[in-house]
Amino acid sequence: MVNVRDTKPGLPQAPLLRRASFSRLRASINPGRYRGILLSAASLVLAFLIWQLLSTFIFNPFLIPPPLEVIRTAIPMIMSGEIFADVSISMSRILVGFFSGSLIGVIFGVLLGRIRVLHDLLDPIMELLRYLSPTAMIPIAVIWFGIGEMSKYFLIFWGTFFIVLINTTAGVWRAPITRQRAAECLGANRLQIFLMVVIPSAVPYIVTGMRVAMASSFMSIIPAEILAADSGIGYLLQKSSMLLQTNRIFVALLTICILGFAVDRLFRFFVQRVLARYMSYVSVM
Amino acid sequence: MRVVNLRKTYDAAHHPYVALDGVNIEIVDGEFFCLLGPSGCGKSTLLNILAGFEPVTGGSVTSDGVVVTGAGRDRAMFFQDAGSALFPWLSVEENVRFGLRVRKVPKREWGAIIDKYLQMVDLDRHRTKFPSQLSGGMRQRLQIARALAVEPEVLLMDEPFGALDALTRRRMHSVLLAIWERTGKTVIFVTHDIAEAILLGDRIGMMSVGPRSTISRVFNVDFPRPRDLAHPEVAQLFHEIENLLAPDVARSEQAVAPS
Repeated sequence: MVNVRDTKPGLPQAPLLRRASFSRLRASINPGRYRGILLSAASLVLAFLIWQLLSTFIFNPFLIPPPLEVIRTAIPMIMSGEIFADVSISMSRILVGFFSGSLIGVIFGVLLGRIRVLHDLLDPIMELLRYLSPTAMIPIAVIWFGIGEMSKYFLIFWGTFFIVLINTTAGVWRAPITRQRAAECLGANRLQIFLMVVIPSAVPYIVTGMRVAMASSFMSIIPAEILAADSGIGYLLQKSSMLLQTNRIFVALLTICILGFAVDRLFRFFVQRVLARYMSYVSVM
Repeated sequence: MRVVNLRKTYDAAHHPYVALDGVNIEIVDGEFFCLLGPSGCGKSTLLNILAGFEPVTGGSVTSDGVVVTGAGRDRAMFFQDAGSALFPWLSVEENVRFGLRVRKVPKREWGAIIDKYLQMVDLDRHRTKFPSQLSGGMRQRLQIARALAVEPEVLLMDEPFGALDALTRRRMHSVLLAIWERTGKTVIFVTHDIAEAILLGDRIGMMSVGPRSTISRVFNVDFPRPRDLAHPEVAQLFHEIENLLAPDVARSEQAVAPS
């Protein structure tokens, strides 16, 4: 008995000690936070390194230009402001389409979530139309609105609207009945319940919808600009392709990556700053 | 509150289901009334009808002589799931303020009312926290404070402590009893826990299993509070109720299981 008691707990003790000192070390450099950032940076550096090696030694550098070459091409484009002009025109198209689509999507979503008849009446139409992606709408958008700004606004609007609408409807629909009843007991009338309980309850759904719609806007602006524009990042891609400038194509592709990432981070930052209290009870982000 | 010959049917999918039939009770002002029954006996349905959330099919429900047709300011409902009943985007303080705002209580009175009820449930140190930062027991106390702030006469409680751990539940019992004694409100408390009903209630209305459930028997619980379940007379009542419920519990399990 004594023997067993002596040896058995003794076994895990050595690793325990080691783990304790290790965790103290980790705590001293405040890891949780920085380790993630460090690993992300390492991952990117590693990816660039492998890319550089592959395109120098294995692949044809004309087809896959090495990152250093891409950066060399990017510098004059940045210095001259050329890339910023394309970025800002694409961004403005995304923002106009995104915000108008979100606004109208939220309004319709709220109505559809609340008014049963309207939902039953419009839902079949929405269910069919949502399969028309913005890309599918490019040809008709060009005929309706030309290749100017309006057609791009329309296409981004189109993509955003359905995503935000469906999410908003779901959010309004799922506002807990107990919460509405609690408000009713406290003396709230129907309008107050709607404005002060149902809509705030739907905010996490709306935000999720908008975030997905923002990502989809980035997906749809590029084909729209490739097929029907004379400016923007998509046009830059298209033009560079015609001239076989693979370096510039890669600059444009990288720009899309960085821009999308930055905008999503900005969106999350905004939500955490302004809407945190509505998101506190769900981990959507 | 008075319930006369209450009947409630549901017409789900052309299968009329008589949930409640022939329910008669009269609840005296200031009384602590427990509705006890196994799951599926319609006690929550009855409470929802008392709250005015669901219409009656037959009979009548009156509160202070006025027929109940909807939620009224005289009756406040508590839910078991405080997480969905509270307003998670509002702080503790703002949750209590909600009722004052929608009832157009003059703004200068808000501060005093909020202080009073948050102190009563011992949450005044947490007033800037959000519901997600509170424990289960604290959320239920916030629900109590929020409802009391609009000064209802009747508190309708639907298994409010059912989701809490045993120790927190015991603490909530004493919090609730203290508030009840202090404010003299009428409490109608739904539970499936015999011990809880005996510890809290002045009277216990036992409900039979549906369909056509009704209040089959009413027990007077005259023991002084705080009550001790180990006390022989209390224990005897416990066993009496338990024995009466046993066949119904077995039946409700059968009714719920296959369907």
